[in-house]
Amino acid sequence: MALVQQIGGRLLQLVFVLWAVATILFLMFRLMPGNPLAAYIDVTFTEEQQLALMAKFGLDRPLWEQYFIYLWNLLHGELGDSFFYRQPVFDRLMVLLPNTLILAFGSLIIAYAFGIIAGSYLAWKRGSVGEQVAIPLVLTTRAMPEFWLGMVLLAVFSFWLGWFPAGGMRSPGAEFDSVGALYTSRDFLAHLVLPIATLAIYSQGLPLLLMRSNMLDVMREDFVTMARIKGLSSFTVVVRHAARNALLPVMTSFAIGVGYQIQGNVVVETVFSWPGIGRELVNAVAASDYPLAQGAFLLIAVVFVLMNFIADMLYGLLDPRVSHA
Amino acid sequence: MKTLLYAAASAAVLAGLAVPAMAEGDKIREITITTRPQAAQPSEFQFVQIIAQEWRKLGLDVKIDVMPWEQMADLVWYNRDKWDVTAWQMVGRPERSDPDELIYNLYHSSTAPKGYNFLGYSNTDYDAVVEAQRIETDPDVRQKLMKEAQAILAKDQPAMMLVHPKSTFAYDNTVWDSASVVDQGGIGIKNVWTFMGLTPLGDKKDIVLNSSDNIQGINPLWISGSTDSWITELVWDRLMRIGPDGLPQPWAAESVEWNSPTSITVTLRDGMKWHDGKPVTAEDVKFSYEAAMGEEAPMYKPFVGNIETIEIDGNKITFTLKNASAAFLTSSLAKLNLIPKHVWEPVLSDLAGSEDNAESHQEAKPIGSGPFKFSSWATNEEVVLDANKDHWSAPKADRWVLRIVPNTEAALGMLRSGEMNFLSDFPGDPKILVAASEADGDLDVVSTVDIGFRYVAFNNRRPPFNDPAFRVALSTAINRDLIVGAAFKGFAVKSNSVISPALPFWHNEEIVEFETGVDLAKEILEDAGYTLDGGKLHYPDGVQETLSE
Repeated sequence: MALVQQIGGRLLQLVFVLWAVATILFLMFRLMPGNPLAAYIDVTFTEEQQLALMAKFGLDRPLWEQYFIYLWNLLHGELGDSFFYRQPVFDRLMVLLPNTLILAFGSLIIAYAFGIIAGSYLAWKRGSVGEQVAIPLVLTTRAMPEFWLGMVLLAVFSFWLGWFPAGGMRSPGAEFDSVGALYTSRDFLAHLVLPIATLAIYSQGLPLLLMRSNMLDVMREDFVTMARIKGLSSFTVVVRHAARNALLPVMTSFAIGVGYQIQGNVVVETVFSWPGIGRELVNAVAASDYPLAQGAFLLIAVVFVLMNFIADMLYGLLDPRVSHA
Repeated sequence: MKTLLYAAASAAVLAGLAVPAMAEGDKIREITITTRPQAAQPSEFQFVQIIAQEWRKLGLDVKIDVMPWEQMADLVWYNRDKWDVTAWQMVGRPERSDPDELIYNLYHSSTAPKGYNFLGYSNTDYDAVVEAQRIETDPDVRQKLMKEAQAILAKDQPAMMLVHPKSTFAYDNTVWDSASVVDQGGIGIKNVWTFMGLTPLGDKKDIVLNSSDNIQGINPLWISGSTDSWITELVWDRLMRIGPDGLPQPWAAESVEWNSPTSITVTLRDGMKWHDGKPVTAEDVKFSYEAAMGEEAPMYKPFVGNIETIEIDGNKITFTLKNASAAFLTSSLAKLNLIPKHVWEPVLSDLAGSEDNAESHQEAKPIGSGPFKFSSWATNEEVVLDANKDHWSAPKADRWVLRIVPNTEAALGMLRSGEMNFLSDFPGDPKILVAASEADGDLDVVSTVDIGFRYVAFNNRRPPFNDPAFRVALSTAINRDLIVGAAFKGFAVKSNSVISPALPFWHNEEIVEFETGVDLAKEILEDAGYTLDGGKLHYPDGVQETLSE
């Protein structure tokens, strides 16, 4: 019963956070310099057209009225129509969201799998030559800007070696019966390699370093010493006793990392011409397309908040010492 | 007129009071030039730096204000009295091959309050000339009027023309026969004639090209993004098309004949079919024009505003115009997409009662009658068109695949690696393209002088820019050859007219060359009564600075 209450409380908080985000977004875009009609300025753009567009976009109404219409629509799950594309924001985002999630989750899973294993190994081999080489290397990959790394991978593996295509999600003109058929095709996977590698290389540093330092802490604890005294092999000690305990904070950072990863996609999606939410967001902001920009940000906020929520809940399950009280 | 007033005012002052010999007005305030950021518009940013530097030599304080396009458009367009000088550009489009749109809308005084004359130029002589050319149907008389209008602008310098840039595109000459590439005057090799004509040399038969912009919509009743227009031009036919020579020629029309200056009869080509197999009829043509005349396609409305009535008789369509119009062929007959009545009539009647118009109606599978048929569209990724082999001008290629590539470097890499075979959008430095072509040997790069242009607009409403002599002096201070070389790396020609040399019939050749230089500019300022005091430029005697903060 207490658990249900806790979850209920957290969900209420979540709704409050999303309302705050929605409000900030609304104000932010309207206070930003610029004008959504700028995209239409043309020699043949007449005064009547300007007025008609203002009315069509609802920009002729007072700000408070726009705000309440916006909130009312949000409550009904209605994100409105994009100014720029004249199509429902929700439909556009739902087409693009899977593309972004594949990149974000795919790269994070690779980064974390690698980071956890390599981090444990480096903690185990602390003080070795291998570690002395590996740590600066990891720090270097952490410090490389994503767009630079992406361009380097593109130059080497696409333009020079010709192993992978240079952009997009499919070969020019390749048509598939369904989205599912596209995502499971060889063609798609070939296009996925470079962007996912860029993001994975960029993100593996955090789990690796986190895992390593947690391991070092855990390995100083009494129960590890106890396990060693029992005469267990050092592999068993590291994997069965130390790593399992060091894993908890890393798992939390994974959940939060998903949110960050979606933001980080902006750059990678542009470098690799990947049709995702990140590019859509940047274009929408540049075009003062309020409904689309608000919708995209809100969607990212929802993913972010949800992942935090899941992390909180998971933590309690994985480590009974943490209570939700 | 103004100078006369100033002269009268200073004469009165001289008569009444003992004024020192070195009479002068207030110091001119710091003037601001707005431009877009270097990352977005490197050439523009560069020429604004050069211009500011030259103007400072005249004794002016010049500030450069860098802002993104949305913000700049908001300032210049919606706050017409709040800016001094701004960099600006016009892009070339096939319909602009008739200069009416540019010469009229840019500087006629009627468009100053809310239309495209955002810089607020007002000259009754100019108005009269551009009104006259609009209704003149004799090409030779109209040519004279066009040249006169250009001469007036050259004398008044409401804006300072800089260059007509060159459009630079490239293609893979191992995939496409070079002889089948058409260089359209003022537009470049990226045009419908090239896409219809491109002849494959080997097994690769898909035209794979790029755009850095997303597609907004594929809609024959909505003028959306410029990349979108590449698609509409291929999927939908028009009664006429702008030919490679820049002149309108019959297209879906078998023939076009003027009955009188206000009446024109079009004979529809036989045997045309919509992509769903139904025949194209005169009824469809009439419907297409009436759709634009109604309320559901507001962006096309200005192009049909001059049509009084449309009558059909068999396969003949007669348009009666309200006023004689020389540009009607280009701006209406070569502009409007022919749409199937059986598809759009129910859509438009549904829309009639609603808030939305046809611009928000995206067909799942657009139906036109053009040389290419719509095949698929993946959001922000690609658009695929199939060749319409039944068309009377059927393309030689199999498909037309437009890839959305926001990364310019990657676009060039794709062209070089063969992932793409036609570079239709390259916002980068054209010199890089030329170098790539020299290194690889299988790329052809073609540069064409554009109809569009780059310029610097003066706010004619605000002193000191309301004084033509001041504007002329500022324009004289700038060496255009320097701009071409330094800001455009030679990929442009210098300009002093809104009508590009790419349109030789209308372009006024005589005004292009004029002497420039800071010393000459100083002389003009001095003659107009401006004085230097402590190295700073002052207004003529008696003129006060009303706008300083």
